[in-house]
Amino acid sequence: MTDVILFFSSNADTMIATKALKDAGVSAKMIPKPAAVNTASNLCLSIDPGSETVAVSALRGANISLGGVVK
Amino acid sequence: MSLRVRLLGTIVGAIVLFFIVSVVAARLALTRDLMAQGRSEVTNGSNAFAGYWDSRKDQIRLLISQDAVSDALRKTLQAHDTKALQDQLSNIARTSGLSFLTIVDTSGKVVARANGGDGGSFASNKYVQRALTGETVSSAVLMPQSELAPEGLAQQAAADVSDASKTVEHLASGLTMIAAAPMSDQNERTLGAIYGGVLMNHFYDLVDQSTHALGGQTAVLQGNAVVSSTISQQDGTRVIDARVDAFDEHNLRAGQPWVGSDVQGGTQYLARLDPITDDQNAVIGARWYGVPMSQITSIINHMTETFMLWGFIAMLIALCVAVPIVQRVSNQLAKRSEQVSAAAKELGVAIVGGEVSGDHVAATRSAVERAGVLIDQLAGEKSGKSIDELKAVNQELVGDMIVIDTLSQEMSSRLQQAVTRVSELNDVASVLDKLVHGASAK
Repeated sequence: MTDVILFFSSNADTMIATKALKDAGVSAKMIPKPAAVNTASNLCLSIDPGSETVAVSALRGANISLGGVVK
Repeated sequence: MSLRVRLLGTIVGAIVLFFIVSVVAARLALTRDLMAQGRSEVTNGSNAFAGYWDSRKDQIRLLISQDAVSDALRKTLQAHDTKALQDQLSNIARTSGLSFLTIVDTSGKVVARANGGDGGSFASNKYVQRALTGETVSSAVLMPQSELAPEGLAQQAAADVSDASKTVEHLASGLTMIAAAPMSDQNERTLGAIYGGVLMNHFYDLVDQSTHALGGQTAVLQGNAVVSSTISQQDGTRVIDARVDAFDEHNLRAGQPWVGSDVQGGTQYLARLDPITDDQNAVIGARWYGVPMSQITSIINHMTETFMLWGFIAMLIALCVAVPIVQRVSNQLAKRSEQVSAAAKELGVAIVGGEVSGDHVAATRSAVERAGVLIDQLAGEKSGKSIDELKAVNQELVGDMIVIDTLSQEMSSRLQQAVTRVSELNDVASVLDKLVHGASAK
């Protein structure tokens, strides 16, 4: 199954999101931004598709603005 | 609750508290000082009233003494011309303001009275008896009805003393200033004595003159009953034949004056009761002198209202000054707080970046280790599948390296920003320190 990619507006947000997901128990891997994703950040997060709902909730709870999701 | 509200609340609270404490303290101090001053004023007024009383008594003594040595009276007495003597006594009493004037012979038997009455004896009257022995005496006395009636004064003295519209006592005797002096012929042989005085009951000359000269209100008490006064009822009539409870409550009969609050005619007075004594120092009445308590309380109330008005104005002025200052301080603190917040956020990103970078480096290390294992296998098996996996691992390694490179650049940039922010934090700390400790603080 293909991983779900979460992207953010800046590299700083991506780093903070990584930490927030780690604290929430969601395994996220930082990857270079795919060519298809349009954002100012150079980095994205790759997560397991089954963790998407939990991850989005954790980011909302940490008040981190999610730029978009690519499946 | 915001810092602005707390600061303004504290200032307003402090001003209101200061204001209330000041007003209460001022009122207490005013009450104490003005009451002390009032007591002093009443005492001075009472002493002056006593002076008028003594002066009147001395005047009666002088009049009687002069009458005792009057040639006209002596000759008429020696001539036993009772009718002429009565006319002379009547003229003297009327022109001198005496209530009664009587001449007795050496046995105390009445020779003539100013009111025209005849008969009677003063043989048992100790003042007349002393006069017949050659002594001139004067005193305040309680004249019994038996002596008042022949002088035509019983009606003037008689009164029903009331207490709160209820008659509690009937007065038949009268408080009188008297004097008695011996009358002698040219050889100094005693012919008799002259006895006269002024009945104070329902007699208002003395209290009116005293009040006119001293201010305040005056009254004369026979025992605990007002028999003459300038005190007015609510309807404007004089307070008369009324009981003064303070006389008994404060044991004036012991001979000590009393100063305090007394209500007469529906008005509260700061009053002084000064005992009236006879020649044996027995208390037979009192002089009452008072000033309306409203004279004192109106000053206290007026001063309190003035304090409150000016205190309120001062509070408004203080608030007008304090509000802009608090506003400015609040704005500065808010601005500095925003700076601190931004700096802290940047530092937080740097810290998180460091942690995340560390995690990713660990993951990369794991990938590289897996690649090492595969490469070892490839070296042993030379399998095509291993080569493909090695390519994949290699591709992952390339990605990880890009990530690490990006993170590295990002963290470098963030750390530089963090250094700047730390400098700003130092600046904020310095400004906040000045705000707390003043401009001279370092």
